[in-house]
Amino acid sequence: MKIKQLEKLANEGVESLSSKDRRQFLKFGLSVTGVFLGGTILSLASAKKAQGALSGGKILTTPYPYTPHYTMVIRESDCIDCELCLEACRSTNHVPPEGYRTTILERSVPVTPTERERVFMPILCNQCNSPSCVRACPTTATYKDKETGIVRMDISKCIGCKTCMVACPYDARYFDEAIRAIDKCNFCYDTKLKESGGKTTACASACPAGVRVFGDLKDPESYAYKILHTPDKVFWVLRPEKNTMPNVFYVNR
Amino acid sequence: MNFYQTKNTGLSHSINLFPFLAFFAILSGIGLSFGLHSLWVGHHHTFGTTREVPWGLLVTPYVFFACISTGLCIVSSIGQIFRVEVFQPIIPRTVFLAIVTMATGLMCIMLELENPWRVGLNAMFSPQFSSNIWWKTTIYSLYLIFMVFNYLALVIKKEKLARLCAIIPLITVTMGNLNMKSDMGLLGSRGFWSENYMPIYFLGLSVLTGCAVIILFSWIARKLNKVQGTDCAMEDKALTATGKIFIFALIGILYFTGIKVMGGFFPLSTTNPEAMYLLVQGGFANFFWIGESGLAVVLPLLLILIAGVKNIPMMALASASCLIGSFVLYYDLVIVGQLIPHFSHYNVVGLPQYYTYHPSLHEIMITSGSIFFFLATFIVGEMLLRRKFDTA
Repeated sequence: MKIKQLEKLANEGVESLSSKDRRQFLKFGLSVTGVFLGGTILSLASAKKAQGALSGGKILTTPYPYTPHYTMVIRESDCIDCELCLEACRSTNHVPPEGYRTTILERSVPVTPTERERVFMPILCNQCNSPSCVRACPTTATYKDKETGIVRMDISKCIGCKTCMVACPYDARYFDEAIRAIDKCNFCYDTKLKESGGKTTACASACPAGVRVFGDLKDPESYAYKILHTPDKVFWVLRPEKNTMPNVFYVNR
Repeated sequence: MNFYQTKNTGLSHSINLFPFLAFFAILSGIGLSFGLHSLWVGHHHTFGTTREVPWGLLVTPYVFFACISTGLCIVSSIGQIFRVEVFQPIIPRTVFLAIVTMATGLMCIMLELENPWRVGLNAMFSPQFSSNIWWKTTIYSLYLIFMVFNYLALVIKKEKLARLCAIIPLITVTMGNLNMKSDMGLLGSRGFWSENYMPIYFLGLSVLTGCAVIILFSWIARKLNKVQGTDCAMEDKALTATGKIFIFALIGILYFTGIKVMGGFFPLSTTNPEAMYLLVQGGFANFFWIGESGLAVVLPLLLILIAGVKNIPMMALASASCLIGSFVLYYDLVIVGQLIPHFSHYNVVGLPQYYTYHPSLHEIMITSGSIFFFLATFIVGEMLLRRKFDTA
């Protein structure tokens, strides 16, 4: 539509503006007046990025930055909560009884106004491309592996401040008393992943229903790649409003 | 200009401070021994923190004392750096209290860490520059060093050097304080701290609590030293001036308290409706209305407005109330944001509406120990001040 045509249109007025639009406009105004800037510029490292946008969330549109770029696709509707994945994770990675690297949440999702559906949602570290835990750690004890993009731990540097635990939007970290450091899922980096030549993780190989699909986003032959690149396939990430750009994706079948 | 123009205050009649020092030191030792026990057996066995609520009570005294120190540094800078003469009689005590409050705060956070012995080397040789925690701790450590230099310069009566040593801490601690918003606000899962007003709020709170500490502890010192009448006329003027800043800060914090109330009652006015509801109308409502609003702001404001800024005992009472309320305020600030479940919008079966956290005996004892540590060092400071300044 050309500008001249636009000019002929009637003014819609502000009555039809949603409260969200109003808030966004007000936020812009505040940033101009400097009040908003007080919260970002005056801070030594701005929280704005980690906080995420109020709506939606960033999606990685650039070529995948790691080689291999590991990912996990959760085929959520197929999960039957057998917990074999949890057992495999515990035994493979020596996870103590008081903690867990991955778990399964049970959801009661409304499908019609009167009906609800039970869905099992496996959760684990999302190996985010923009991880708030890595940013928060004062001693680089937690870091993005430069080759694979996996969020890993250097336990010798962990001071036990637990800031990464507070920062993680997915409750994916716990303090392991035995090693006196934070422990988390690292896609079995030093255990199953190494054994399998980078092909699978303990939880993915243990799942009888093929719910957890581990793969490489750089490899077009990888099943995970194929699922995520199927035309019209709907997939989603957890808590997209946090702008962490996860590498764990959820699909239905 | 002379920072040391306090008169001979007749200290021969003053109270023997050693029993106070011994009393507070013993209580502090008992409290802090719980901290050592926790380090030995592991926090998992002694703290009330959990996977879901990893930060507990001990973060509160850290933020509380660090903010007080910031406020004290700002108040001391008025006399030292900006050369406002009326503030000069309280400079030595203010600088000393700024040092001990920051030291107390850093001690608390060290006891909150699972592996404090790894901090020094890893913070120095493996820093994460995008981490607000790293910046804040580094800044506060540098601040502490320069404040010690500042105090030593005051002791040896080198005014110019003292002033120079005061400028750097003022800049660094203000940066550290403004950084505190992001320090906490970056924590992706906890939106409670990300409100845009937080940097100014923290700075206002720091000035408020800094003023409260200098008023209260100057009054206590006066009682310990049995100073009265014309002997403390100059200090009276300084405290009255501090009282005026105190009122200004109280009004500022009252405004921010109003914003919190708005957030609690009108969800659309905040980005953190669940946490604000919990704070203002939910399980933390008593803490909010009695502690944060009543004791921290309303009662002190009423007391001072009724009695006036020249009534030092009443100002001291208002300051005590403000400090107790502010402690509750910082507790709420640390805890409430963490109580919102990570997947609260995912219809998860069995997920509580809010996580729970209760401080353990160890956490309470360590916090008490840190407060007694501060009181013990205050007594030490009074002993030093008697020797170095008051009889000058």
